[in-house]
Amino acid sequence: MSLTYMATPVLDRELKKGSAELMILSLLEYRPRHGYEIGQLIELRSRGAVRFNVASLYPLLYRLEKRNWIRGRWIEKSGQRRRRYYRLTSAGKKMLAKQRHGWAEFVAAVKLITATQHA
Amino acid sequence: MPDFKAEIRARLAELRLPPVREAEIVEEFSQHLTDQYEAAINRGASEEEARQAVFQDLNASELLNRELKRVERRAPANAVIPGREGKLFADLGQDLRFGLRTLIKNPGFTIVAVIALALGIGANSAIFSVVNAILLRPLPYKSPDQLVVLWENATHLGFPKDTPSPANFLDWRKQSTVFEGMAAFAERSFNLTGVGEPERLDGRRVSANLFDVLGVKPIIGRTFVAQEDQPGTKVVLLNESLWKRRFGGDPAVIGRAVNLNGEPYTVVGVLPPTVRLPTSGNWRDQVWVPLAFPSEEAASRGAHYLEVIARMKPAVTLPKAQAEMDTIAARLAQQYPATNTRIGAVVKPLHEEIVGKMKSPLLILLGAVAFVLLIACANVANLLLARAAVRQKEIALRLALGANRMRLTKQLLVESVLLSLVGGVVGLGLAYFGLNVLTRFIPHDVAQADTITIDAKVLLFTLAVAVITGLIFGLVPASQASHFNLNETLKEGGRDSGAGARGKRLRNSLVIAEVAISFILLVGAGLLINSFVHLRNLDPGFRADHLLALNVDLSEVKYPDTQRRTTFFAEVARRVQTLPGVRSVAVAGNLPLTINGDSTFIAVEGIPDPPVDQWPDVIYRTVGPGYFATMGIPLVRGRDFNDQDTLDTTPVVVISEKTAKHYWPNEDPIGKRLKPGATTNTTPWRTVIGVVKDVRQNDFIAEPKMQMYFSYRQMKDLGANALVVRTSVDPLSLGTSVRNTIWSVDKDQTVANIDSMEHIVASAVARQRFSMLLLAIFAGLALVLAAVGIYGVMSYSVAQQTREIGIRIALGAQRRDVLRMTVKEGLKLVGVGLLIGLISAFVLTRVMESLLFGISATDPVTFGIICVVLLMVAALASYIPALRATTVDPMVALRAQ
Repeated sequence: MSLTYMATPVLDRELKKGSAELMILSLLEYRPRHGYEIGQLIELRSRGAVRFNVASLYPLLYRLEKRNWIRGRWIEKSGQRRRRYYRLTSAGKKMLAKQRHGWAEFVAAVKLITATQHA
Repeated sequence: MPDFKAEIRARLAELRLPPVREAEIVEEFSQHLTDQYEAAINRGASEEEARQAVFQDLNASELLNRELKRVERRAPANAVIPGREGKLFADLGQDLRFGLRTLIKNPGFTIVAVIALALGIGANSAIFSVVNAILLRPLPYKSPDQLVVLWENATHLGFPKDTPSPANFLDWRKQSTVFEGMAAFAERSFNLTGVGEPERLDGRRVSANLFDVLGVKPIIGRTFVAQEDQPGTKVVLLNESLWKRRFGGDPAVIGRAVNLNGEPYTVVGVLPPTVRLPTSGNWRDQVWVPLAFPSEEAASRGAHYLEVIARMKPAVTLPKAQAEMDTIAARLAQQYPATNTRIGAVVKPLHEEIVGKMKSPLLILLGAVAFVLLIACANVANLLLARAAVRQKEIALRLALGANRMRLTKQLLVESVLLSLVGGVVGLGLAYFGLNVLTRFIPHDVAQADTITIDAKVLLFTLAVAVITGLIFGLVPASQASHFNLNETLKEGGRDSGAGARGKRLRNSLVIAEVAISFILLVGAGLLINSFVHLRNLDPGFRADHLLALNVDLSEVKYPDTQRRTTFFAEVARRVQTLPGVRSVAVAGNLPLTINGDSTFIAVEGIPDPPVDQWPDVIYRTVGPGYFATMGIPLVRGRDFNDQDTLDTTPVVVISEKTAKHYWPNEDPIGKRLKPGATTNTTPWRTVIGVVKDVRQNDFIAEPKMQMYFSYRQMKDLGANALVVRTSVDPLSLGTSVRNTIWSVDKDQTVANIDSMEHIVASAVARQRFSMLLLAIFAGLALVLAAVGIYGVMSYSVAQQTREIGIRIALGAQRRDVLRMTVKEGLKLVGVGLLIGLISAFVLTRVMESLLFGISATDPVTFGIICVVLLMVAALASYIPALRATTVDPMVALRAQ
């Protein structure tokens, strides 16, 4: 069953919040991206299942920045407006590894439970 | 496209974020929304649909605010408003760092500004050092404010401050009650012999209580005691430098006998180098002996040669002291009508007597350097204004982002004060080197000149000047920056908004001010230079070139009579005459312009003696044969002295033209008779044998007074003490050989003050030269700074007009016309400045009147020349940037901006 279908607003928010940090950190693992791009990628890669609006995406980015996991920087590329690009800090990289591991364990645990129920 | 920014800003308002942070968030959000909007349009949505889709997200603004509130900090309520308690200096460190970075980032601007400021501040520090040492520093005596100098007032005879006579001094001292003590002294030279080379020493006879009156303590030994103030006491005080130089600083010198003028004197003490009594010339005391009046000297009221210092009792004021002295003088006038009729007494503060002559030139110089600094300020303010135009965008942005205007103004002021502090430090270095040069031109007779130094007071002064300077030139651009219209600036998009009318008006007024101030300084310098030329062109009455002068003070013990003196001088003259390079040589008494010569009233045969108070004085000199020819003083009538004029022949006298005209206006004076003193005097009549041209004897500037000359061979008293040598070579090159020749006649004879007469004349105008030279330097500095200022403003203004000039040339305007137009604009400013300067100078140069000679303070020629000079410099300063602008390719000019 898909996440969207199951989600009540509360669950949706909690789940999203736990996973959202992981998603953003993952997206920044190999290259810096600006906010719109991050939003687009999340929507694209989840095939529309997860979608952030401005009002939640940016506060999240700012929080990550405040924790020093990511760092935003205004960059002006020729022919473009200047944009704020976020990249992963070394603290962010460690956190990403940790969260990935935790998430994998969590998913496995959920799978175990849900699988048993159906079996 | 909708205005996302406004929407976002409205939604964020409630959060009251710090302005910079808010701007950042607004920009980031609006970009996101723009991207979303464009994406929607690209997918084929209508503008309205796209807008709705975008705003749907944003409209969850409660969420937005809640989320943001968690992460973002509110702006502190009283962010950065300076002036609040404890906040004034809160941001100083930040402002300083920022200011320093800004200065380092613009090295060109910083260097030019620092140079201008360093010149201005340095000049002020240097002159202040001089003022500090000479005018402000108290004299090195105990309670110097209580010390006064007393003069006889004989204004009706042309001596408003006459040196008192011994009897008058003694009566003053006896009768006065307002003084704690009163002491007199008189210059006297001494020949030191018996220790190494013979040496002539400047010294004084002084009242035994002089050093108590001054409050001077000896380094070793003691000062004089009252009993020593009697004839026959042979005790002496040495000054420190003589003690060190000739006696190796040996304390055992106390009690030792030294040979002065052939007599043994016992050393009783050594005085510190700070003892400097007032002097009319180059007199530097090295020894002091008691005044010890013999009885006939103590009774003399006619011989005026003492100087008198007194210390007022603590509660006594100057007017009170003056009042009592007036009473005493009036009483003496009644008691001794023959000598004291109309003779008053004058009380003057010692400090004024010692530094008085330098006061007005120094204050004028201080004013001049303040003007130089103002010009430097105007220049730097101009630079700052031009830069402010460039920085306007930065400032506008900071204001838009919520920067506080006060804070911004403070930041700009910190920057300018920082700049002037750097200028102050460099200026202090300049002042240090400048002072080394400056002190060489300070007249030698100026007291305390050797104490000129950069001390704590000068440092404090420099700091204050630097800070005030920074505030003055920083205030203009800072006030402009905090006043400008934000909307306008942002609308203009940062394109040359500095050329706004206000900025231009400011820059123009600065140029006008610079021109006006430079004009005043240049006129001042011009007037002084003109005066100096007049002074140097004054005919001293003799030919100063190729003339060597030296002092040969004979000892009264070794040469007690006229016969022995004549023999000595005749032999010296004979031997010097044979030296190569010597044309002629003559014996002289006091040389012109070295020592104030003696004067006396005279009786003239056939003319009744005038009343005492209307009896004019005649200056007299004692000279030897050949003196007039050697000095180059033209003989108008009659003959010179010769070897046959001796004690055994008819007493003769040579008079000056002025004396001849006064006593024998329509007659030939040759053969007439006169004598010093009154007709009833027992001295013999002297026959006039010659008339010579007037000579400037005592005062180079004042008109020559009546003069007469006696032959030293006919004088019983010691008359001659100098030699003058007319040479065919550089006179100073003969100094050593002349001295050795004198020593070949008498190896113990002292020879002193070997100098060229040209130098003596130059020293007579040293004070004038000092003021002239310095004012000329400062005026030159002002001219350069003003030229740089005009050049800077014109360059900037032309650069602003490059486009306009390009269009004009493209449309066929002649380069010549454009050139003329630009130069005309520059000259218009200069013209206004000149007019203001002219009016101000007309008023201000009057304070210089006392320094001027032979020229009026509003001399039209000087004013005219300075006008032309300034106009030419200004024209050049506008021409160069104009020329550069017109040589620009119109295409390039059009593309500019």
